[in-house]
Amino acid sequence: MSNRWKLFIFLLVLMAVTLWLAAISYPGRNLRVIACDVGQGDAFLVIRGKTEILVDGGPGNKVINCLNNYLPFWDREIEVIVLTHPQADHYSGLIEVFENYSVKYFLANALDSSSSNYSVLKSLVGGSQTVIINPTSSVSMRLDLIYLDILSPSSEFLADNSVTTYEQKDRRTKELYQTNNGVLGAYTSEQDPNQFSIVAMLSYGEFDALFTGDIDNKLSDDLAEIIKQKYNKPLEYIKVPHHGSKNGLSQSLLGSSNWKIGVISVGKNNSYGHPHQEVLKILGEKDIKILRTDEMGDVVIATDGKNLIIPEN
Amino acid sequence: MRRFLPWLLVTIIIIIRLIYFYQGRPSYPDGTRLRITYRVTSEPIRYSSSQYLRLRGFKVYLPLFPEVNYGDRVIIEGRVDGEILKDPSLIGIKERGGNLYYLRKRLIAFYQKSLPNDHAALVAGMTLGSKANIGQDFWAVLKESGTAHVVVASGMNVTLIASFLTTFLVLVIPRRRAIFLAIVGIWLYALISGFDAPIVRAAVMGSVAFTAQVLGKVYNATRALFLSAFALLFIKTDWLYDLGFILSFVATLSLIIFVPKLQKVFKALPKGIRENLVTTLSAQIGVAPILYIAFGQFNVLSPLANILVLWTVVPVTIIGMISGIISLVTVPIGTLILWLSYPLTLWFISVVNVFG
Repeated sequence: MSNRWKLFIFLLVLMAVTLWLAAISYPGRNLRVIACDVGQGDAFLVIRGKTEILVDGGPGNKVINCLNNYLPFWDREIEVIVLTHPQADHYSGLIEVFENYSVKYFLANALDSSSSNYSVLKSLVGGSQTVIINPTSSVSMRLDLIYLDILSPSSEFLADNSVTTYEQKDRRTKELYQTNNGVLGAYTSEQDPNQFSIVAMLSYGEFDALFTGDIDNKLSDDLAEIIKQKYNKPLEYIKVPHHGSKNGLSQSLLGSSNWKIGVISVGKNNSYGHPHQEVLKILGEKDIKILRTDEMGDVVIATDGKNLIIPEN
Repeated sequence: MRRFLPWLLVTIIIIIRLIYFYQGRPSYPDGTRLRITYRVTSEPIRYSSSQYLRLRGFKVYLPLFPEVNYGDRVIIEGRVDGEILKDPSLIGIKERGGNLYYLRKRLIAFYQKSLPNDHAALVAGMTLGSKANIGQDFWAVLKESGTAHVVVASGMNVTLIASFLTTFLVLVIPRRRAIFLAIVGIWLYALISGFDAPIVRAAVMGSVAFTAQVLGKVYNATRALFLSAFALLFIKTDWLYDLGFILSFVATLSLIIFVPKLQKVFKALPKGIRENLVTTLSAQIGVAPILYIAFGQFNVLSPLANILVLWTVVPVTIIGMISGIISLVTVPIGTLILWLSYPLTLWFISVVNVFG
């Protein structure tokens, strides 16, 4: 056999194997909600077929490993990334994500952070094709069969608590800000960035998951009211706010529905003492299954829209 | 005697150069605050929360962002502590604007956007010698399994490019001119790939070999190797401490010495396996003791790991180069071609994980 033939056959085999690997790695029809083990921080990946939603990127760049493990190698586009609020344990990993994937929509507050890493993220997003959306409550979006409702922050809250930085900037920035779409870092605030957390309800069939960012007790109470009004059905999955801090989950938020699973994204032996005993206690009292990334690594929940597959811990 | 005279001369010159180098080297006591302005001459290595680079003999660990890249001109201030520059702060950074640096960045970005990160890092490492995007965990695995040398663009890439260029150029232009252009191509590649010591070493040797061909002289690999080593040390004396340079030199030398001998020992084996085995073992004979001294560890199984993965390097490098060039015109087609490397990198990563 001549070398040319050998080369040809090698190429054919390579193509066949690549195709097989591409086919095998195609994700199933179930929706999966994955709490990535990123240490002390948040990164939640929602994936169904070729559609992915990433809520926060965690500290460091571990989130990339999570994406590698659950996305097929040929899927290089993430449909939606939500950054709940610009704090390092929520956005740092996104820098690497934006370097490695193309992203369709980026949902984030226009709240600025003085950190130089946040500037890196801002310029990276600005230089990409990504559409930036500054969501407020009442915004909803649909992707494939997945619905995403934004529950917080409200536009009133943003109007009251933000100090726009556009005054120093040119008129164009001002106009951009006034359309309230597509800017990162348009204003600063005296308030704790946690208060700006984007809270989102994700629904797929009869399955609902609530992503709460780092909201505090008071916002948890407000959220409970909104949920009672808006959702007249059982809700299953709650991301325990603020890594299980005492100033996060409230009794009334837990009482707002018949939650089945409470997921805590938290680092092993973290210096904050998260999750707090009291939070674990109230979760236990309600008979909610607690799943923690510091104990289990990635926490993967799968659902077909009706039934839930919950890992044992 | 006549034959040795030139060598004696060269050796004396090199010794004088070394003495000059050591005497001219400023020494700073611990605690001195230094401000270094320097062009980054090799790719910084990124860890999960810091990036590591060497500046004028000092180790510097900077925060991950802003990213420092090969070719950037940086101003860094810090405090001397042994060979480390403590509490470094990046005062200024100016990106190198030249076309070649832009090309390199663009290719690496293309790999990154088209493949999962370890795979992309592997392709970027094999084709361009870019170590920047190799994650900490993956780097550790590569080191432990004794396969890290693969990810550093090596002399082999230069050989690949040289033979690729000559094969094609000879078809269209006269031989002499083709060889001249091939030499130009080798040096352009050396520039794109970050001017790392192993590549420059191979580029010098390749140029010597080609020149010998044009002049109709006999090419002696050993002689070319020593000549290039001396020439490089004369120009860049601090490469004397560059592990990449030392390894590249020793590996090449032990290939020249041991390959013919081991070929005879293993002549019973089928050709494909024999080539791999002989090359790996020959290189390891020289390299293993140095790795042991440098890292204090040596994986007994590393020759086996190498035999299992080395065959993927040439196809991955070729796929990486071709898809990279095509991506400059059309990214989707480039991506499709690049995906052909996925089974190979998957095999590489899986095997390395077993051994590392």
